[in-house]
Amino acid sequence: MNPNDVLYHKEHTWVRVSGKKATIGITDHAQDALGDIVYIDLPEVDTEIEANSEMSEIESTKATSPVIAPVSGTITEVNEELEDAPEIINESPYDKGWIVVVEMSNPDEADELLISSDYDALVEAEK
Amino acid sequence: MELCILGSGPGGYVAAIKAAQLGAKVTVIEEDEVGGTCLNYGCIPTKTLLASTEALSMAKNIASYGINFVGEVTPNMQKIIDRKNSVVSTQVKGIRGLFKSWGITLKEGRGTFISENQIKITSKNGLEEIITADKFIIATGSRPANIPIFPFDGKRIISSADALNLTEIPKSMLIVGAGVIGCEFACIYKELGSEVNIVEMMPRAIATEDTEVSALLEKELKKKKIKLHTDVKVEKVDVDENGVHASLSNGKTLSAEIALVSIGRAFNTDNIGLDKAGIKIAPRGFIIVDKFLVTSNPNVYAIGDVSGGMLLAHVASKEGLVAAKNIMGAAIVMDHSVVPAAIFTSPEIASVGLRQHQAEEQGIKFHVGHFQYRGLGKAHAMGEITGFFKVISDAATDKILGVHIVGAHAADIIHEAAVAMKNGITVKELADTIHAHPTLAEGLMEASEDVHGEAVHVPKK
Repeated sequence: MNPNDVLYHKEHTWVRVSGKKATIGITDHAQDALGDIVYIDLPEVDTEIEANSEMSEIESTKATSPVIAPVSGTITEVNEELEDAPEIINESPYDKGWIVVVEMSNPDEADELLISSDYDALVEAEK
Repeated sequence: MELCILGSGPGGYVAAIKAAQLGAKVTVIEEDEVGGTCLNYGCIPTKTLLASTEALSMAKNIASYGINFVGEVTPNMQKIIDRKNSVVSTQVKGIRGLFKSWGITLKEGRGTFISENQIKITSKNGLEEIITADKFIIATGSRPANIPIFPFDGKRIISSADALNLTEIPKSMLIVGAGVIGCEFACIYKELGSEVNIVEMMPRAIATEDTEVSALLEKELKKKKIKLHTDVKVEKVDVDENGVHASLSNGKTLSAEIALVSIGRAFNTDNIGLDKAGIKIAPRGFIIVDKFLVTSNPNVYAIGDVSGGMLLAHVASKEGLVAAKNIMGAAIVMDHSVVPAAIFTSPEIASVGLRQHQAEEQGIKFHVGHFQYRGLGKAHAMGEITGFFKVISDAATDKILGVHIVGAHAADIIHEAAVAMKNGITVKELADTIHAHPTLAEGLMEASEDVHGEAVHVPKK
């Protein structure tokens, strides 16, 4: 089950919104499909990201895959722990495996995102 | 046939042996050491240092292979350099031994044409000797270009040749130029522990390669924490007791203990009497040759770097063979159509033929196939899953236009593609050839299959 306290993007990223602040990661389904993650190309603080565009790239033992930004904004924090231990994303995709925090430039974009039950249905349909 | 060859690098020494095998009486003049840049300051010493840094990297990661190791793994620069010198010296002796075996006379000194068929040799101790010959081959090579704003001093501002003999590992190194040499040394010195910055005026690293190749290398440099600054020029370099301070075109300043300048090479055409022998050079400085490798003097051939084109040891060697055979009566046209090239960064890079952007620029209709190293069992077994194979084929004929490989042993694998291209083998024929399992070469087969959407070890699209 995917948690209820986050919103989902159809490209398998999630957002935890708090005011204008949004924490972003990849979903449990994404980490499971990727398999063992060996590297994440972390963006830098102050980088601007744009919703529906690539914000990072993840490498697993099976594939390299873009991380699609669910919302637009400016990165204020990066999870530096992933640099040396990217496997945290596999272990804790919704918590310790967060990737970046952004200051949203267009908070309305969050309205376009999916709630957990809709995302569950999407994943089920893709199977 | 009396043949005199000026220079004994991979062009000159190969030409000498081939001509001797075909019955010529050969004299080789060498000012420095046999083997030229390739053996003494280039290919071989860099790969020897690289073998040391690869061993270091493997040792640091030894636990991931299930090996317990207690203790500290550290490079000993003096011993690394000693090992390099020993490898070079063995190879030098090998060439000298081959010369002796084939009855080739080696004259050590500076050779200069004094007429159309005479060369004066000046030895290190000042003795002069004049020799005549029926035919000559100029194979004097090239050297690191000394750019006025970065004058080499061998200590703070160094060339690639100097970088092979640093007995202490610099805390920091600024590399000017993200070409082949700059990127190779960046990987070597980063592994040894230097903090490395590379400054490149082009928009991407190794700008002569396929853009996907550059992109992957750039990502791997980032993983290694090598900082690459592209689209930036170095405008000024100041040297003081603390090191070098480079002022960049973006307004920033980068400081380092040592600056390695690797931006181009200059042709060795000075003071060898080309004018006395009636030999013409192109505006860019290399010796002009025809398709048989003959210069504007019909009795003089030129091969390798000094005749321009692709500055690669293996091209020089092949030109040496062609020149030697032509001198001994053949009329072979030098074929530069298929030239594989390797870059020994980590990961390794190899390419042959067209880059995708070249195919686009030429308006060719083409197909592309890819395969990832991480799709290969052997790559996982080795713990080397970074990289890809890319095959570009002619949409109309299915012939291979270009192949690009990034990843472990890319430089060894590329030749399968080179043989296929040289012989007009199609992508389908390459894909239909059974490849041994488990090998990295299976990736080239799968990438060839992928050209037609037939690769097996890929998820359904």
